[in-house]
Amino acid sequence: MRVLTFGWEFPPQKNGGLGVACYGLTRELLRDGVEVIFVLPKTQETAGDARFLFADDERLVKVLHTDVSIKPYMQGDSTVDVIVGYDSEGKPIIRSRTIIEEAHRFAHQAAIIAKTEEFDVIHAHDWTSYLAGVAAKIASGKPLILHVHATSFDQAAGNNVDPSIFKIEKEAFAMADKVVTVSEYTKNIVVNKHESPAEKVEVVYNGCDMEETTQLPPTLAELKRQGKKIVLYHGRISIQKGVDHFIRAARKVVDTDSDVIFIISGSGDMLTQIIEQVGAAGLSDNVKFAGALWDEERDQMYQSADLMVMPSVSEPFGLVPLEALQHGTASIVTKQSGVAEVLTHALKVDFWDVDEMANQILSGLRYPVVRQQMVNEGREQMKSMSWVTAAQKIKQLYRSLIQYVTT
Amino acid sequence: MLTVCPYFHVHQPYRVKKYRVFDIGNDTEYFNDSSETDLNNRRIIEKVAEKSYRPTNKILKQLLDTHPEFRFNLSFSGTALDQFEAYAPDVLESFQELVATGRVEILADTYHHSLAFFYSVPEFKRQVQKHERRIKQLFGVKPRVFRNTELSYRNDLAKWCEDNGYLGIMAEGWDKYLGWRSPNYVYRPAGCSKIKVLLKNYKLSDDIAFRFGNKEWPDYPLSADTYASWIHAHHGDGQTVNLFMDYESFGEHQWEDTGIFEFLKVLPEMVMRHPDTSFKTATETVQAYDAAGEYDVPDILTWADTDRDLTAWTGNDIQRDAIAATYKMEEAVMKTRKRDIIENWRKLQTSDHFYYMCTKWSNDGDVHAYFSPYQSPYDAYIAFMNALSDLQLRVSHAVAQREQKELQKQESAVSEKAEQTPAQNHYPDNAHIPDETDTQEVSQPEHEQEAEESRWWNKLANKLPFFKSPV
Repeated sequence: MRVLTFGWEFPPQKNGGLGVACYGLTRELLRDGVEVIFVLPKTQETAGDARFLFADDERLVKVLHTDVSIKPYMQGDSTVDVIVGYDSEGKPIIRSRTIIEEAHRFAHQAAIIAKTEEFDVIHAHDWTSYLAGVAAKIASGKPLILHVHATSFDQAAGNNVDPSIFKIEKEAFAMADKVVTVSEYTKNIVVNKHESPAEKVEVVYNGCDMEETTQLPPTLAELKRQGKKIVLYHGRISIQKGVDHFIRAARKVVDTDSDVIFIISGSGDMLTQIIEQVGAAGLSDNVKFAGALWDEERDQMYQSADLMVMPSVSEPFGLVPLEALQHGTASIVTKQSGVAEVLTHALKVDFWDVDEMANQILSGLRYPVVRQQMVNEGREQMKSMSWVTAAQKIKQLYRSLIQYVTT
Repeated sequence: MLTVCPYFHVHQPYRVKKYRVFDIGNDTEYFNDSSETDLNNRRIIEKVAEKSYRPTNKILKQLLDTHPEFRFNLSFSGTALDQFEAYAPDVLESFQELVATGRVEILADTYHHSLAFFYSVPEFKRQVQKHERRIKQLFGVKPRVFRNTELSYRNDLAKWCEDNGYLGIMAEGWDKYLGWRSPNYVYRPAGCSKIKVLLKNYKLSDDIAFRFGNKEWPDYPLSADTYASWIHAHHGDGQTVNLFMDYESFGEHQWEDTGIFEFLKVLPEMVMRHPDTSFKTATETVQAYDAAGEYDVPDILTWADTDRDLTAWTGNDIQRDAIAATYKMEEAVMKTRKRDIIENWRKLQTSDHFYYMCTKWSNDGDVHAYFSPYQSPYDAYIAFMNALSDLQLRVSHAVAQREQKELQKQESAVSEKAEQTPAQNHYPDNAHIPDETDTQEVSQPEHEQEAEESRWWNKLANKLPFFKSPV
C-alpha cells in the first residue's frame, strides 16, 4: 500500500503541532508497512525514513531554490516573500505572494506529481495542503483523505472567520472521500460549520511520544528561592489561544496570592495587546514575558513550572499539556480542546470562566498532592496515546477506501 | 426451613458545593448548592424521593399489610434522615409507618456514613451513639444488629460490636474468606464468642441491585418467579439467604421502566409459595441459628467493586490526603466544643466525598462516574479541600477563643481561690457527647444575635409576654 501525502511542515524544522503530528503518524505508518511519499512545498531537511518530494524541486518547477518562510497558521491574505527564480547575475528574484497563492501553487505542482508517481491513496494535512490533495485526486482518480489539524474557526476563535480559507475548507471537504479530525471537538465544527455529513468524518486522536526526559538545571532559581510559584503559558499569542482570558484569571489569582508568577512563553500577533493588558491590570510584577522558547529552554521552563495553563478558546487537539506532563508538570486545560477528551488527569475549565480558572490555579498551587497525582496518573495514561494507535486507525481508513474505490 | 433476610440501605450524603479558594474564610455553608446540578442536595432528595422512596415505601407498606409473614431490615444514615426531615418530611413519615408495623428492623450504623472505625475508634463510637439516639427519637426502637458504612468489616469491628452489646453484624460473603463454604449460614466472627455475622449472598443480591435492568444479561428480563426459584434452590444447603442492597436500587439505580416495582410487588408471595420458606429480620435470624463456623477477616472487606476493599475510597493519593487531613483535625475540632463546627466536620467524613475522588476507572469511565456529581475526581478533591481549609480556619479561631476564655476563668478562679476543675479537652470513649452538652454555645453567629436583639419588636416582646412579633 502506497500513500501520497501532502504536508506543509515537517521536523526538524521548528514549528507547531502540525509537523510533530505528521512526523509521528508517518513514522508509525512506515513501521506498519505502508509506503509513504511525503510532499512538502519547499526543500528542507527532513527527519525519518519516508520518501520526500519537494514541490520546488527543479524537475517540477523552473525554480532552482526557493526560500519560502510560510507558516501554516497565517491568515489567508498575509503575504510571504518567495524567491521565484534567479536573474542572469544569479541574484534571487523575490516576489510577495499570499499564502493562498502559495497553496494554489502547491496544488498545481501536486497535480504534476500525482501524474508521475504511483500510489493507492492520497492524504493531505491541514488547509494549506487541501487544494494539493484535491488536485492530486482529480489528476489521478485516487481516493482522498483530508486531515484536519485546525480549522478557520479555531484560528479566528469563532469571530471574523477568514472567508477565503473557509471556502477552501468547505469545498475540499466536499471533494474528499474521508475527513479525519483530531478530536470530537473538531468533528463538531466540521459537521456543524462546514456541513460535512457526520458519517464522512472520522476522529483519530493525535498520539504522543513518551520521550526520556533529562532533568535540566532549574531556571528561575531566584524566584523559586523567594518562595514564588510559577504558572506557565506556552504557545502562540493569538486570539485562538485565549491568553487574554488567562491574564484576567491572573489578576484574580494575584488578588489572593501575590507570590504567583505567570510566565508567558511564545510570540504572536496579539503580543502587544497582551503586554498592554498586563500593564493596565497592574500585573507587571507578576507576569513575565519570556519570548518564544524552544528545545532545552522550553523543557527547562516546563520542568520549573508548578502548573501549566492552556487557556485556548478553540483548540483542535493541544499537545502542550502532554509535553508538560512528560516534564512532570500538571495542566489546566479548557474544555474547548481536543486533549480534554483524552486526558483525564488535568483540571478542566471553560475558557470564559475566569473565576473558575483562577480557582483552579490557586487550588492546584495550594494542594501539591493533586498536582503530583495528575502527573503520575497522566503519564500512565499517556502510554495509551501512542502514534501506533493513530496509525492503525489511519491504515484501516486507507484500506476501506481502496476497497471501496478500486473496480 | 429456609429464611430470607432482606436489608435495604438508605443513604444520601451532604454533597459539597463548588467551594472555591476565594470562599475560604468567607463562607461557612459548604453544602447549600442551589444550582440545577447534582450538587444541589435538596434537588437530589426531591428527585430520588419521587423516583424511589415514595413509590417503594408505598409498595413495601402494601406488602406488609397483605403478608403478615413478610419482614425486612432497613438501615439509615443520619445524613439521609436529616435531609428527609428538611426536604421531604412525608418520606420520613412513610418510613416511620413501615417501622411501626413491628416487622421492619432498623440496623445500627454510623450517623455520618463514615469510615471512622478505621481512622478513629472514639469518633466512630460517638457517631454510632448519635445514630442510636436519632433512631430512638424518630422510630422509638434500639438497633441490635450492626452494619458499617459500605458494609466495611474487619475482625476488630466485630469484636467492638460484641463488646458493645450487639447481637449481630453484617458483612460481605466473600469467597476469599468463605473458601468452599456457603454464605447462607450464620457464622461467628474470629476472636468473638457471642456475636454472629450475617453474610451477604452477593450473587442473589446483585442480581437485583446491579443486573436487574441490564439488557445484556442472559437472565434479562428477570421475573420474580424465576428469582424465587433461585432462592428455593438453597433449600437443604443453607439456612438464611441474606439479600443486602442499596434501598435506592428500587427506582433510582434500577429505573421504573425496568419493571423493578412490579418485581418487588410479587416477590414476597413468590418466595413464600414454597412451603417452609419465610422472612426474618436480622435479630430473628441471628437468634434462630447457631454459628456454623468461623468467619476470619483480618483485612478490610467491603461490598464494593470486584476488589471488595476500600480502594474506591482510599485508593489514590488525593483520597488518602483528603481523608488524612480530615481525621487529623479530630482533637482540635472536639476541643472547640462548638456544635456547628463538629457537625460540619462530621458531614465531611461521609464516605461519598472520597468516593467522588476515585480515579480507579477514570480511564474507561464506569460506575464511579455515574455516581459522582462532580465533573472530575479533581474537582471533587478541590471543592472538598477548600471547604476543609475553611473549617480548619474556624477551628483554630474557636480553639484560640476557648483557650483564652479558659485562661480568664482560671485567673479569676485563682484570684477568688475557689476550687477549680481542670479544663476538659480530651474525651474518653464513654464521655458525654460535647455537641449535645454544649449546644447553646454557638447556635448563632454573634452578629446575627445582635441584629436579632436590635429589632424593635424584640425589645417590645421582652417587656410584653403576650406580644407576637410580626415575623
